[in-house]
Amino acid sequence: MAVIEGRNLRKTYTLSRRNEVRALRGVDVSIEAGELVAIMGPSGSGKSTLMHLIGLLHSPDQDHGPAPELSLGGRDATRMSDGARTRIRAREMGFVFQQFNLVPTLTAVENVMLAGEYAGLGRRQARERAIARLTTVGLAERATHRPSELSGGEQQRVAIARALVNDPALVLADEPTGNLDSHRSAELLGLIRKLNREHGQTFVLVTHDAEVGAACDRIIRMRDGLVQAMELVREPTPDDVGEAAA
Amino acid sequence: MSLLRNLARRRLRTALTVTGITIGIWALVVFGSMANKISAIVAIGSDYYAGKIVVTDKSGGLDGDSPMAIALVDDIAAIGGVAAAVPGVSTLLDPASNSGISMPDMVVGALPGADHGKNMYDARVAQGRALTAEDADSLVAVLGSDLARKLGKGVGDTVEIRGMAFEVVGILEPTLTAPDTTAIVPLAAAQAIYLGDLPPVVRENVRADQLATDITVYPDAGTDVEALAARIEAAIPNASAMTGAEFDGVVGSSVAIFNAIIVGVALISLIVGGLSVINTMAMSVAERTREIGIKRAIGGSRARVIRELVSEAGLIGLLGGLLGLGLGAVVVYLANEAGRGSGMALFLLTPQTAIFAVLFSTILGVVAGIIPAWSAARLDPVAALRYE
Ligand SMILES: Nc1ncnc2c1ncn2[C@@H]1O[C@H](COP(=O)(O)OP(=O)(O)O)[C@@H](O)[C@H]1O
Ligand SMILES: [Mg+2]
Repeated sequence: MAVIEGRNLRKTYTLSRRNEVRALRGVDVSIEAGELVAIMGPSGSGKSTLMHLIGLLHSPDQDHGPAPELSLGGRDATRMSDGARTRIRAREMGFVFQQFNLVPTLTAVENVMLAGEYAGLGRRQARERAIARLTTVGLAERATHRPSELSGGEQQRVAIARALVNDPALVLADEPTGNLDSHRSAELLGLIRKLNREHGQTFVLVTHDAEVGAACDRIIRMRDGLVQAMELVREPTPDDVGEAAA
Repeated sequence: MSLLRNLARRRLRTALTVTGITIGIWALVVFGSMANKISAIVAIGSDYYAGKIVVTDKSGGLDGDSPMAIALVDDIAAIGGVAAAVPGVSTLLDPASNSGISMPDMVVGALPGADHGKNMYDARVAQGRALTAEDADSLVAVLGSDLARKLGKGVGDTVEIRGMAFEVVGILEPTLTAPDTTAIVPLAAAQAIYLGDLPPVVRENVRADQLATDITVYPDAGTDVEALAARIEAAIPNASAMTGAEFDGVVGSSVAIFNAIIVGVALISLIVGGLSVINTMAMSVAERTREIGIKRAIGGSRARVIRELVSEAGLIGLLGGLLGLGLGAVVVYLANEAGRGSGMALFLLTPQTAIFAVLFSTILGVVAGIIPAWSAARLDPVAALRYE
């Protein structure tokens, strides 16, 4: 079953009356439950923009061309209110960004708790879950450190713990390894791979990095605001699909 | 918890903003306490003047202590509509220690019973008794509460006033106003003291029992008090007849000026404090744009962003309010302590004023925080994340 179904997705940024950037020019995309998908392409090709639409951070253009469709687990997301989209982001999605991912005044565990509280957990429950997720990413001992006391790789692992705290069906990551050296990057990727296999969560990774792409199930290649190609890296095993459905 | 951490992020800026509010609230507390005091004095004065006319000699000085001939009492009593006319004497307890700004200690001569029960104002006696008609020729005194404390005298003690020894027979309850620093003695004794105050030329030509400084007139029931006051002023040369309504009018306008000052102080602190909170919060929002973007992206609602920032601004206001109140209370206390020695305490810090000051500054902080918080909540999360 598809977690995300998008059709005719367009996004134009208007910088001034004369200066428009057509970041997405009509994209169809479908992401299956349990998939680990990479979105790749040159800088400026619209990868982040696509992720922002999927993540309900922006809405697709409605005012020109064929009507866009965006459904999330069967719900039409094209005309949702800000409140409804915020709620879905809080409860059903996890986000990881390239950098400056964490709130600097909060400790690692408080950063993770934040997402739990946004999803409606009480403080105590949020804390328990946050510690469990920090343990999953191997950072339990760093729980009370501030972001400034953590390395880049550790910060990204905290961000992943935060993205996972509500067991979301969909985790969206925009260049999560962009600021890491190849060793840290491989480590983080291994963790994502493992979570995807073990928990059947769907991951969409925006990346530049061919090695990251190669570790995914599928690559969506973008160019100039369009999907240029879909590449199946490996067939999902019946085992994966079974886990995802469970 | 994270609220305090956010405030601690820019300690100096937070401290400066809090200081700005502190100063405004401090001024509000001090001026407000002064206004409370004046209102209390006015209320007592208004009670005192209610239903009577106080006649003084208008050629006199500020204290109303220029002499009037006691014979005028009979002239006034003969005017139609006057039920009773009672002479009184009030003069400084100790002419050498006139403090100028605050209420000086006074000696007041009273003629108990002469009002035929018309006087509705009574300063209540806390200990001992009030003066009676039988005291007319004795050297007895009823002391105001502050004066008794200052002199260290109680009922039964002897107090010396201008070389005369008076037995203290009563102590008044505190009124927070003029009676607190007054010694009430029989009229004859006050007249003797007052005679000594007069210049030698005058002194040689009058007798003590011919003197008064004021004559209190009690109108007949149903008499138009203002019209009666006018008749008295017409009949008696140099007389100034003050009615309750006139007192309220004269004093009311000075109270109005004072209240205007307080409103002015409140407005200035509102504008200065409000602007500095807006500025501080706008800077905080700008610095935290990325962080706000993250919070919104991972599912923090607009309401939540607003709530966090508004509480932060409210906390700044609350801190400023508490500090301002604390400093104001210290100043009021010290000034009152200093004032007690020479005369009256000038300030009255009431619980209402204290609560108002803190509420005012907290609400000020909250309201000033709403604007930057609102704009933060309207940020596009994606743009906020990209913000450099
Ligand atoms: N908020 C924005 N305002 C204006 N232009 C934008 C904005 N976001 C992205 N763009 C432009 O849209 C195009 C696609 O950007 P993006 O989706 O970020 O590409 P990618 O992530 O593949 O590098 C780029 O030309 C970029 O400059
Ligand atoms: Mg990008």
